[in-house]
Amino acid sequence: MQRLDVRGEICPYPMLRTVQALRKLTPRDEGLVVVTDHAPCLETIPPQATRLGFSTTITETGTPEWTLTLVRER
Amino acid sequence: MRHVMVLGYQVPRHTALGIIASLGAIAALVVLAPLGGDFARFWVFGLAFGIVLQRSRFCFTSAFRDLFLLQDGRGMRGVLAGLAIATPGFAIVMSNQIPNPTLGMLPPDANILPLGIHTVVGGVIFGLGMVLAGGCASGSISRMGEGYVASWVALGGMLIGLLGVAYTWNWWWDISIGRGARIWLPAYIGHGASIAVTFAALAGMYLATVWWESRSGLAPQPPALPAAPGVDMAARLRHVAQLVFVRGWPIAIGGAALGLLNVLLYAGAHPWGFTGELSRWVIGAANALQIGPGTLTGADELPGCALELGDGGVLHHMLFLVLGMIGGSFIAAAFAGEFRIRVPRQPARQLQALGGGIAMGYGAGIGLGCTIGAFFSAIPSLGLNGWVFAGCLACGAWLGSRIIAR
Repeated sequence: MQRLDVRGEICPYPMLRTVQALRKLTPRDEGLVVVTDHAPCLETIPPQATRLGFSTTITETGTPEWTLTLVRER
Repeated sequence: MRHVMVLGYQVPRHTALGIIASLGAIAALVVLAPLGGDFARFWVFGLAFGIVLQRSRFCFTSAFRDLFLLQDGRGMRGVLAGLAIATPGFAIVMSNQIPNPTLGMLPPDANILPLGIHTVVGGVIFGLGMVLAGGCASGSISRMGEGYVASWVALGGMLIGLLGVAYTWNWWWDISIGRGARIWLPAYIGHGASIAVTFAALAGMYLATVWWESRSGLAPQPPALPAAPGVDMAARLRHVAQLVFVRGWPIAIGGAALGLLNVLLYAGAHPWGFTGELSRWVIGAANALQIGPGTLTGADELPGCALELGDGGVLHHMLFLVLGMIGGSFIAAAFAGEFRIRVPRQPARQLQALGGGIAMGYGAGIGLGCTIGAFFSAIPSLGLNGWVFAGCLACGAWLGSRIIAR
């Protein structure tokens, strides 16, 4: 899966760059892994991913760092 | 997760940092309490505001911006919750001060501010600036405590913008601020009807927000909660601690807590706001360097967040409110494990924060307050200026979201 590192970015850029990256995926890509250290985007990215047809799994990988795994549904 | 030993217990390193910071905050309170000057009260309120802002990730900027950028009204619903709590609370304080509002007296500390073209220009510039900077004044201050370097840069920009207002204040005073009417709704329709009208307007905004969201095709998603704790008492306590100290609070709870704190602060002193204090720092520094702006006509007669001349020495109760907000946010972030010095990887972001900050400073200076003083404390003051500023903030935030979405 492709990886997008948005550490150091604050709202709304983590979400905007994630949406941009999701739109660029080809139908054959199964999804995208986003790495962030900005907690508020844990609440802004999932609804946008849902809108574009991806499900979100959040894992905490550090303090403070999270990985959002966005997988194409179906 | 790295651990350290505290009194024989192994605790995560970030928890230890939170404990040390909390002890520091209490030590500061012990030092401040005997000094008088209301320092201790404002330090405690600052800490409380900072903790709530950090824990609920409350952000006035996203409340306005995300309406346009995402058709998401989550933040705006939090803001409305806060206003709905603060409005009756402020009304009780004000109706005790001015039982008969028709006699032309205004409650002295309420943020009922002159209305004019400066309100419009200030609101639009502030709204644009906060979206570019990625946070308004309160948001930047709480993010400073979380370690966001760009927010320190944004605050620096605000200080520059406020100094710019100081040199142009008298011009704004002559053309608009000095001529502006201070319109307090109870003076025209009484206390009860003013509260009713304000609640009706808040309800209208709530309905408009939900309608706008419902057209986005974006179903709201409650954030996933940590797994249920079972019956074990220690596990249940850990679960509660997790919800309070680590997970973000629901935004409506954050908004309601901010509204309640604002009422308590007003009941004891004056409403929440700090633009005047920020201006006091730079104008005071400019005066000390003998390059000050001179007299600011009428500024000291205005309540709320109008510019302050900065001739009262370094210590002021409002200084401790601002420092407390940074400290409270730091403490909350430390316990949550969310503190980290974060430097944007793209240098352009720093410039964006600086430019946005300057715009916010100038907008807050002529608008007589930021999202707090001219909006969050002004609408509950039942001043018409709060609603005008809010509309202009929204226009500025719309412009800003057009710019950043490109």
